[in-house]
Amino acid sequence: MSTTVTQDMSFLYLIASASVLVQLVMLVLVLISFFSWWFIFRKHFVIRNEIRKTDDFEDIFWRGVDLNALHQRITSARYDSGSLERIFAAGFGEFNKHATGSDLDAVMESTRRAMRATYQREMDYLESHLSFLATVGSVSPYIGLLGTVWGIMNSFRSLASVTQATIAHVAPGIAEALIATAMGLFAAIPAVVAYNRYASSTDQLATRFESFMEELSNVLQRRAAG
Amino acid sequence: MSVTALRNSSYSEPRILLAGVLAGLVHLVFIALLIFGLNWKDHPPEGMMVEIWTELPKPIQEPVKTQPPPKQQTKPAPEPLKPKPEPEPQKPESVKPEPAKPAPRQAAVTPPVKKPDIAMQQKPEPIKEIKPDLEQQKKKEQEKLKELEKQKELEKKKELEKQKELEKQKELEKQKELAAQRQREQAAKAQREAEAQRAAQQAAARNLVTNEISKYKALILAKIRSRIVMPPDLPGNPIAEFSVTLLPGGDILDVRLSKSSGHAVFDNAVERAIFLSKPLPLPPDPALFHEFRNLNITVHYRE
Repeated sequence: MSTTVTQDMSFLYLIASASVLVQLVMLVLVLISFFSWWFIFRKHFVIRNEIRKTDDFEDIFWRGVDLNALHQRITSARYDSGSLERIFAAGFGEFNKHATGSDLDAVMESTRRAMRATYQREMDYLESHLSFLATVGSVSPYIGLLGTVWGIMNSFRSLASVTQATIAHVAPGIAEALIATAMGLFAAIPAVVAYNRYASSTDQLATRFESFMEELSNVLQRRAAG
Repeated sequence: MSVTALRNSSYSEPRILLAGVLAGLVHLVFIALLIFGLNWKDHPPEGMMVEIWTELPKPIQEPVKTQPPPKQQTKPAPEPLKPKPEPEPQKPESVKPEPAKPAPRQAAVTPPVKKPDIAMQQKPEPIKEIKPDLEQQKKKEQEKLKELEKQKELEKKKELEKQKELEKQKELEKQKELAAQRQREQAAKAQREAEAQRAAQQAAARNLVTNEISKYKALILAKIRSRIVMPPDLPGNPIAEFSVTLLPGGDILDVRLSKSSGHAVFDNAVERAIFLSKPLPLPPDPALFHEFRNLNITVHYRE
């Protein structure tokens, strides 16, 4: 008691003097925060890359290049292909396999299926780890709160053995416990922001992919008919 | 084949490591902000309890620390004082004979030498110039001589007076110096005495505190002993040691058996007695409570 009054309140001391459960909570939150930031940066690079490649491919495609040459270039994989390029390659490859003489509706149907399958795989890839960010955003404040509640419980329990209760007896315990909440919020806020941002970006990409699929099937149908 | 190859190559994410490094950097910056950016300093303690704790230990510790330095200070102080008085009186003594004695001698020697000269010069002059009025001249000369002698005597008296005054002044100076020395010595003595008194008072206070503590410890033990229902016929003299945590006011927070006597009956009896003797007698001065917060109580089966 007499020692806690004149203790120094440095950040590291507070963490070191916390109870085991609070320290565990802090450790978990630090790990969660690290991974969430890691995924934030990873997704940032992936989505930025994807948007750039989609822009480039649409630009090339609507300029009216030879589709066979384009398909050749993509499948040779001499450069890193984007999602949209892979969707195009899947659809165009499927369309070419049927060649001539087969039923146009059946050909278009299988082409569409091939494109849809690739589209779903690509979207799955783009949206991977976004659910982790969402979970971090919603759960880590609760984890931090758990640590805080536990720390405050402890500091009040130690208050029970004192006849003259002062703020000085409870303050260090509460301060140390509140660090857990701070860490939870530190993990949660960027995760939520990043999740919303990346979800809207992937949504935009998804609509672009879908509209491209429709347009490509029209182009191919015209090509088969013509 | 080509499609699967494409897929595998495409799913290798760009810059995974860079992302990890950036995440680490973000956390380092955050931690640095927390540690260096914020001043997590505790405010000065508030409340009664706190003030008592901080006040008590100081007076006990400080005298122990401060006592040696004052002694060291006082010891050197008188030492320089003592040597000073010794040379000082010697100087005046040595000075007295040298200037005082030669001065009067010179003064005494010169006038007698001059007197005959004047007398000799004066005597031949009247003899040569005026012969008839010899008697008158002689009378005049005698008168002159008398006057001269009177003047000389006066001069001598004046010189003597001056010497006396000088001696008196010297004596006064000596006395003043002696008085100053005495004053200094007295001041040093007074300082020493005051310090001794202070030390004695502090020692007495400490003795009082220790007496008080030992008195109340004995009281606590006596109270506990009086409540023990002694189990009969235990062999030897078993000793049970308990560590008791007290609350201000004498309530018992916790009793732990730190060393068993080897007889559970005796241990239990003592533990029960400790709880029964609640509240334990504590000194009225709350500042002494920290001595009683964690008590080690040793109970012998036979006294």
